[in-house]
Amino acid sequence: MRGIGVDIGGTFTDLMLYDSGSGEVAVHKLRSTPHDPGIALVQGIRELCTKAGVEASSIDAVFHGTTVATNAVLQHRGAVAGMITTRGFRDVVHIGRHQRPLQHSVMQDIPWQARPFVQRRHRKVVTERIVPPTGEILVPLAEDEVRAAARELKAEGVTAVAVCFLFSYINPVHERRAAEIVAEEIPGAFVTASADIFPQFREFERFTTATMNAFVGPGTGTYLDRLERALASEGIPGKLHVMMSNGGVASAQQASRKPVTLLLSGPAAGVLGGVWAGAHSDRKRLITFDMGGTSADIGIVTERGVIEASARDTEVAGYPLLVPMIDIHTIGAGGGSIAYVDDGGAFRVGPRSAGASPGPACYDLGGTEPTVSDANILLGRLDASRFLGGELALNKAAATTAMTGLADRLGLGVLETAEGVITIANANMAAAIRSRTIQKGHDPRSFVLVALGGAGPLHAADVAASLDVPEVLVPAYPGITAAMGLLTSDLKYDQMRTAFMVEGALDAARLDRELGEMESELRAALAADGVAATDIEIVAGLDCRYVGQGYELRVQLPAEPFTPAALDAFHTLHEQEYGHASHDPIEIVNLRMTALGKRATIEKLPVGSGTLDEALLGHADALFRADGALRTFTTPHYDRAKLPMDEAFPGPAIIFQRDTTIVVPPGWSARADAAGNLLLNR
Amino acid sequence: MSAITTRIDPITASVIGGALESIATEMGHKLTRMSYSSIIRESEDFGCVICDAQGRQLCESPQSTPLQSGPIPGYIRGINRRFAEIGEQWNPGDVVIHNHSYYGASHQPDVGFIIPIFHEGQLVGFSATTAHHLDLGALTPGSCGIVDACDAYAEGLQLNAIKIEEGGRRNAWIWQIVRDNCRAATLVVGDMEAQVAAARIGAERFLELIERYGIETVQAASEDLMDYSERMLRLEIEKLPDGVYSAEGFLDGFPGHPDPAYSNLRVAVAITVAGSSLTVDLTGTAPQLDLPVNMPLEGTVDIAIYLTLRSILLDTTRHEVVPANSGLFRPITIIAPEGTIANPSFPAPTIARFCSGNIVADTVMRALAPIMPDAVSAGVGNLRVVAYSGPAANGQHWVYMDIHEGSYGGRLGKDGLDAVDTLYANTRNNPIEDIESHYPLRVTRYELNENTGGRGQWRGGLGSVRDIELLADGGFSLEGDGVEHAPPGLFGGEQGTPGVVVLTTSDGSEQRLASKFPYRKARKGDRLSLVGPSGGGYGDPAERDPAAIEADRLDGLAHS
Repeated sequence: MRGIGVDIGGTFTDLMLYDSGSGEVAVHKLRSTPHDPGIALVQGIRELCTKAGVEASSIDAVFHGTTVATNAVLQHRGAVAGMITTRGFRDVVHIGRHQRPLQHSVMQDIPWQARPFVQRRHRKVVTERIVPPTGEILVPLAEDEVRAAARELKAEGVTAVAVCFLFSYINPVHERRAAEIVAEEIPGAFVTASADIFPQFREFERFTTATMNAFVGPGTGTYLDRLERALASEGIPGKLHVMMSNGGVASAQQASRKPVTLLLSGPAAGVLGGVWAGAHSDRKRLITFDMGGTSADIGIVTERGVIEASARDTEVAGYPLLVPMIDIHTIGAGGGSIAYVDDGGAFRVGPRSAGASPGPACYDLGGTEPTVSDANILLGRLDASRFLGGELALNKAAATTAMTGLADRLGLGVLETAEGVITIANANMAAAIRSRTIQKGHDPRSFVLVALGGAGPLHAADVAASLDVPEVLVPAYPGITAAMGLLTSDLKYDQMRTAFMVEGALDAARLDRELGEMESELRAALAADGVAATDIEIVAGLDCRYVGQGYELRVQLPAEPFTPAALDAFHTLHEQEYGHASHDPIEIVNLRMTALGKRATIEKLPVGSGTLDEALLGHADALFRADGALRTFTTPHYDRAKLPMDEAFPGPAIIFQRDTTIVVPPGWSARADAAGNLLLNR
Repeated sequence: MSAITTRIDPITASVIGGALESIATEMGHKLTRMSYSSIIRESEDFGCVICDAQGRQLCESPQSTPLQSGPIPGYIRGINRRFAEIGEQWNPGDVVIHNHSYYGASHQPDVGFIIPIFHEGQLVGFSATTAHHLDLGALTPGSCGIVDACDAYAEGLQLNAIKIEEGGRRNAWIWQIVRDNCRAATLVVGDMEAQVAAARIGAERFLELIERYGIETVQAASEDLMDYSERMLRLEIEKLPDGVYSAEGFLDGFPGHPDPAYSNLRVAVAITVAGSSLTVDLTGTAPQLDLPVNMPLEGTVDIAIYLTLRSILLDTTRHEVVPANSGLFRPITIIAPEGTIANPSFPAPTIARFCSGNIVADTVMRALAPIMPDAVSAGVGNLRVVAYSGPAANGQHWVYMDIHEGSYGGRLGKDGLDAVDTLYANTRNNPIEDIESHYPLRVTRYELNENTGGRGQWRGGLGSVRDIELLADGGFSLEGDGVEHAPPGLFGGEQGTPGVVVLTTSDGSEQRLASKFPYRKARKGDRLSLVGPSGGGYGDPAERDPAAIEADRLDGLAHS
């Protein structure tokens, strides 16, 4: 099997080709083409195939991490969308939860009021009502009103319609019928029914998710279509797969029906790349730490896989979003984060970033404010002549000038200030990791920190030390882990149903029946993508809570008929997550099922090796804090590609490779292993 | 700018400041997830705070509602005062329950749980949570809409610095008293247990912080952080011209009452700006009543003033995020004559003070309007809360609290926010799909109130219409305001639209009601329709952008 992973970023498009027959791997990088990202994708595939000496037509699958839907949301550029909803509830998506996003602000804008996905003029109401607890039809759907509303929307130029009715998560029949009518009246329209995206209670969140899907639907569909056609013209038809926020890939057809599942496509691929690298060194409990120029993404992985976000906490660009997604926590800390002193005298780093342009002062592209990268070069942790494999010479004098201004305001020395910038940035990142580990009942001391991104390996050891994480793992290509992650993912589809049941009155037969139906639907979806039945893996779970609570925890179900004993695990989960369990009865809220379509994925990267002498590039001064004082160390510089295998060497040391720089502080040691990872230990 | 004096380096201060914030965040996160009643888990009417040994606030959880976290230092002062009176003191292993509104509590339903934190035998701080409870045994079901309580005793259980755990030992009898005196005891006690668990987490984390950095460093950083927040606020006050700025606002009060002194209650605000300090004087505010619109000075009036000033002077869309600590209180002095609704004498009832405080907040904002025209809104639409209840199994009650939002007035360059909680409150509504799944209630309408709001160059935000029908016999009570008085306009903008309360009984007859009514029985099929006020307009309506007028027309929204 030959697969290509393509990660399209704002600046660069990264590609990786893997041949499962020969075990060969080839990588390629080229400038992105933001006006039409597909141009770089196709050109990159062509160039990569030439480089690897394979025919494009021999490629079996292309895996793509895309930001097209994300950008449509962030820039608020999408379709003219309409909505059909229950009479009396035209403004559910406008009022929201009536909470102001900011506690202390009179002048704030509320995203869903200031920038709605569907303007009020395109929100139509129709007579119908479904009621709990059984989904009984209290008022039948007025089909003539739906038809009239659809005609109005058509006349208004609407090209995408979300159908959003109360309680559709219990009984979707009205939504589905209305969607059919809309499709008849507006041929070619992109139609979304809220329960088809995610049948969960909480109408504001579900309706918002459906309107977001409508808003990004037509644009994403066109984009994926165009890519499919371009790939077809290269002799790779029908092979496009897209990474979803849940950490699985979907066929382009299935993805374009639910583009709202693609919003974390890129970052999810990064986490998977980390998981893959960790697994090859037999590390299963991971904190993935992906730090770039503007932000850092944090993900948590345990023996049970990548941690998913709770549906109560998921949002994109300030809008709530009810779809399964990896719990990726993003904070504004990167190499370009700007350090400053505010009016009250507080020393702050980020979230404002110098970005790629003008960039940090040391890039010499016009930036004058001191950044994290400037601090790194002053402390000798970045090397002026070895950045990006020497392609971008860094200007240390410019970094000094920028940092001096800040140091004067603080009344500190320049180097002390530079170290302060790193300390504060690292503390911000450590706090973000703490919020995902300690606060959720995971002890960081039992995890390995996986350093990803151009800046991750520069900071990973210090961040790990402040959390008492004992080990840092640096994958072979930290800067292009997302492209690699794409080659490691299985096809993955999720389903959920709401089914309230209380312990003591459980209907096991109903649970088994519903789970059986969900499994059949998921198997059918994978079969449609050409997955053999023997390659399908099913994981089922129940979202549970104590009766009366509003937040659920997920209990895994064994692959056998349901028995109430399956709920016992909930008490343990609750204790682990919150430090407190109860004897109250347990309530089942949702049934969850995930189906994986296993496929041949990348197995192992070729690993080179040399000796420490061969790897030594020279020595230079670098500053580290040791025994409470900031001291200068004569620090060896190594070329990663020539490091010996399984030979530990002590810090301080700086290790260079094209896509990143790795810092091994004093007190740490480093060792390259047979899987191609570099392990840092304290 | 004068030289800044600090106790420790700014790097350590920044790191400890971040750590404190994440402690409070974790407390809030866990409290919402463990709690049982929708008033905490969905509406987020709770607060979580770490204080130092002097009871000064060091941080607060960012979710939660400001009116819950802000009062916590007052709770600790009140408990200390009580302890002094009875010769008691804080000991390791104590957990104190407290809700006495004349000893610092915000009002009776907002129960605080406070855990003292000891390090090597020394009291070093407090971990505290507050939350609104569904029922604490007042004269009628629920904990809102008790608008006929004649004094503090009629408000239900008063817990004044009670050690519910002492020296690590659980005082089961006190838990039993609470359980026996609440109508929805299972939910109330479950929520209280969640509060204690969240406060314990805060105490543990604060001790870990001390172990990591040392007590001296944490204390020095705490002082620096409070100084910093104070300095940030003073910098903004200094930019204002010295002088006295006044405004007045009116509460509906009790319009049906035979004594005119019970309606159209005046709130008078005079703000004196002098250098980097502000004095807020409420002299001229209406005399206290023997009905519960009175506001505890400590816990309601002070918080309404602090939070409003902070939201205007340090608006987070325009300023650095300033740590929410007691340093923010220092530049502000409050004067409120005793015997007024803004500083009542015991045992005047205070349980229904929610809307009164919001008028104080609104009036403070309008007083500053002439000198901060780019940072304020025109008159804000007030809020209302309904307690729906009915009989449940085993002699218990089901009780559901529905908080109905208001709206903001127009602002410079922007229309007002539609249908949101306002000023010192920032709760969340309960999803319709949650309400109907748990209570015999049906929500029949929830929409913007079209063609309302003050016209202006930037129009007032629209209130909403929320109709709820009972599916079984029960009852309800209402605590609201803003039916008699419209939100004022600003700088030539027109006044907004008052709220409306209509009861439609099962026989189809309609009846307009006042903005407050005590518990009344209701029959299956009775429907309560609440219309929230729409905010005042800002600037001359003739100056409104024609494109904005056209957009409102297309959206079927406004009469502009």
